[in-house]
Amino acid sequence: MRHPMKTYLLGIFLIGISVFFASCSGKVNPNKLTSELLPLDGNPLTSFRVLVKIGSANDPSGKEGLCQLAWSLLANGGSRTMTIKEITEKFYPMAASLSLSIDKEMAVFSGTIHKDNLEKYYAIFKEMLLDPGFREDDFNRLKTNQFNFLEKTLVNNMDEQFGKEILNLMLYEGHPYGHHEAGTVESVRGLTLDDVKAFYKEHFVQGNIVIGLAGGYPADFPAGIMADFGKLPEGFTPRLSLPPAHLPQALEFVIADKKTPATAISMGFPVSLTKANKDFFALWIAGSHFGEHRQHVSLLFQKIREERGQNYGDYAYIEHFIQGRDKFPAPNHARPQQYFSIWIRPLANSNRHFVIRQALRELKRLVEEGISQERFQLVRTYLLNYTKLYAQTLGERLGWQMDSHNYGHQDFLADVQNVLRKLTRDDVNRTIKKYLNFNNVSIAVITQDAEALKNDLVANTPSPIKYANPNMPKAVLDEDVVIQEFPLDVKADKVRIAPAAEFFQKTGLPAK
Amino acid sequence: MPKVIALALSVVLLVAIPPKLHSTNVFPYNYKIEELANGLRIVSIPLPNPNIISYYTVVRSGSRNEVEPGKSGFAHFFEHIMFKGTKQVPRASYDEFLTQLGAGTNGYTTDDFTCYFVVFAGRENLEKVVKTEADRFINLYYTEEMIKTEAPVIEGEYYSSASNPDRRLFELLRDTAFEKHSYKHTTLGFLKDIQDMPNQYEYSLLYKKRFYAPDNTILLVVGDFDHAQLMDLAKKYYGDWEKSNYILQTPSEPPQTRLKRAHYDWPSKTLARLTLGYHGPAYSDITLDKAALDLLAEISFSPSSPLYQKLVIQEQKCLSLGANFEDTRDPSLLTLSAIVKNDDDLPYVEGEILKELERIKNEPAPVRKLADIKANMKYSMANALGTTDGVAGTLAFYINLTADPGTLNKLFDLYEKVAPQDIQDMAKKYFKPVNSTIITLTGGKAK
Repeated sequence: MRHPMKTYLLGIFLIGISVFFASCSGKVNPNKLTSELLPLDGNPLTSFRVLVKIGSANDPSGKEGLCQLAWSLLANGGSRTMTIKEITEKFYPMAASLSLSIDKEMAVFSGTIHKDNLEKYYAIFKEMLLDPGFREDDFNRLKTNQFNFLEKTLVNNMDEQFGKEILNLMLYEGHPYGHHEAGTVESVRGLTLDDVKAFYKEHFVQGNIVIGLAGGYPADFPAGIMADFGKLPEGFTPRLSLPPAHLPQALEFVIADKKTPATAISMGFPVSLTKANKDFFALWIAGSHFGEHRQHVSLLFQKIREERGQNYGDYAYIEHFIQGRDKFPAPNHARPQQYFSIWIRPLANSNRHFVIRQALRELKRLVEEGISQERFQLVRTYLLNYTKLYAQTLGERLGWQMDSHNYGHQDFLADVQNVLRKLTRDDVNRTIKKYLNFNNVSIAVITQDAEALKNDLVANTPSPIKYANPNMPKAVLDEDVVIQEFPLDVKADKVRIAPAAEFFQKTGLPAK
Repeated sequence: MPKVIALALSVVLLVAIPPKLHSTNVFPYNYKIEELANGLRIVSIPLPNPNIISYYTVVRSGSRNEVEPGKSGFAHFFEHIMFKGTKQVPRASYDEFLTQLGAGTNGYTTDDFTCYFVVFAGRENLEKVVKTEADRFINLYYTEEMIKTEAPVIEGEYYSSASNPDRRLFELLRDTAFEKHSYKHTTLGFLKDIQDMPNQYEYSLLYKKRFYAPDNTILLVVGDFDHAQLMDLAKKYYGDWEKSNYILQTPSEPPQTRLKRAHYDWPSKTLARLTLGYHGPAYSDITLDKAALDLLAEISFSPSSPLYQKLVIQEQKCLSLGANFEDTRDPSLLTLSAIVKNDDDLPYVEGEILKELERIKNEPAPVRKLADIKANMKYSMANALGTTDGVAGTLAFYINLTADPGTLNKLFDLYEKVAPQDIQDMAKKYFKPVNSTIITLTGGKAK
């Protein structure tokens, strides 16, 4: 049996939809529960999406990882009256689950269920969130999993993710975003069940919660949920007052040294805009042109992979990006502070210096030369069409609806259609100049012989590469001559090297 | 789908129209099958949801077809070559076409087939897509230089998962368990063969001639279109595609005669891995073997199973436990895997899995449990088929096996027929020590 894709959320009827936004009607009391509803009559499925406006940035100092552990205990632990074993057994014939995704400032509990099982499912779903069991054995199991992930898996089994997380540490050192959602080895070791209970009591309150519901649920169903969750204490957690992220003042490197056949690279810097800003749409065109995630339209993909066969792919993002279904962005990772990044997928160690040069040179060209009229029109058309595929499942539509309101849009994807059509190439090039740069970039590298890379970077050692193809196009070889000597202003004191195993032991980067 | 050892098989799910559940037909949609004179089979499923079309081309050639020494990974490599364009629509123009269309597009390769999909909005774009896709399948054009430039990308893809121990474990399992059959290697292929791909231009031409032909390909179209229009377009644009008539002979795997073991030393810290592979049957919607084993996998190794609850939840020895009994055209492996928290517990966890396999041989499955499993499968499939692209992605897999979408309902009919005794019989037939390969992986000291 090929197991169907249980984790994906499901379908929608596109006709005859009536949408209303309970959260948008009238004045919202910040102490009270709100909701996002998307009723779709006749749809046999209902998708739940309980968004909590609390994420890892709310972890108390010294207790990093607490939010993830607390919310995991709700999603993966028993309720007061049912053990997780009993819940699993009850969910099984319904092919049901309760999933959790967690980010810096929000978390989402979600599940999709067939109408045959709606009431049965909700009864369990409700109890898991509103009446958790907080059992010691569930706590120990999930804490150990979180600890093992930090201590073993993240730095040894997934270098691409490791690179992205080092970049996060670089951009947000000393900042509430500056630790992995799972915390650190040291902090997780110290977490207690009492910490979890206190965190739940403090933050799982009405004003922090948005009840999302989409699909063919009965008309009176939302009222019942609002009544159930309305029994939670009133109140809300004030939004965090975030310090600025770290603005690199040079090319700043952190190199994780480990034995590896391939080098993973992530680089970036903070940008002072989000989906809430008007400039977002113009910069989005620039980002898509430069590095649309896993798409041929990406310039970096074309230059590094297609022309030169260096690796599997090369992309760029103007905000934090998590891949959802297929290659589309997953909603509900909204943040008030964002960053621009470039992701270079693993490549042969021998070519690492060349590709670092190439990526930064392309970034310089983007900033200095902007986007051509031809590319502007092509990429705009692309985004106008591609974004029509973003929100198709019930969960996605609900998630985008929540993100829209979070960023102050009535309907962000509808705004895409309106705003993009009015933009000009000049708008895009203006935002590129305003938000992007190539001199001050944080660069995370996972590789072996880190000292050798440092020496090459600082000395600007030429970095020619060899091709299997003896007849590479002349234009590529001519450009290579420029790239391989492209000067980077790297100061020795801006290159930090640490053994891979030292990362995520404590908050922040390993000691200098 | 692999549960624990997940080969990246990127199936997209898009858009709308969840099925109404029927008691008998788990696949509830009407479909039409037509075949052109050249053997190209077209499976068409118009759905009444507006605007989205999933256009899938299923080439029934995967790593199973890599029967010659030194050619492992070639089906996947050729998937990359398929994006190089034609003389009429060179690669840059093809990329621009897809970019203008704003399509979700890609390809993926499995043991048995290679799939290309274009998911796009707007039924008015159908002819452009049929024309462009037909052109690239019939008139693909590439040079030796293009091969040499693309080959290192595959090495890069290999590197993308180089730090993933499950990938190494899976490679070692396949390589150890199989002696002759091409399932011995994974879809990415052996690294030494990947590194030789720049030199395989001549073989690529032969590969294309053998397998990229209408009599080895199925076109699957799901969504907002008119069947008659699709057929007119298919005849117009695919009609001149020449048949191959090539018949593949995959080597028979000789019966295994002894228990095999192998171990992988991971160079840094990691949670330990254990995987047991037993030679099993090929996919069938006629004989009971595989259907009964599918039910066994759920009884004994799903999260609701007593063993999972014991090892993962209660004793907390394992991070995960799961079964992956793949549906393949030739007999493949029935795989049981666990991620184990402490290296010292590997023998214990192995013992518990073996005990469970013995238990299931001797104890009939409770009737209630079988009913729960059938309900789970029914709702899982309904969920998977809840979007246009869910229908296309799921069916692409099943039509690769039998070339007939009806196989899905036949399979679920078989599940209904499986009796507790059948499960015991199949457990006895396949879960024999001499038929097994056991692989372990443990970590070293992190640098």
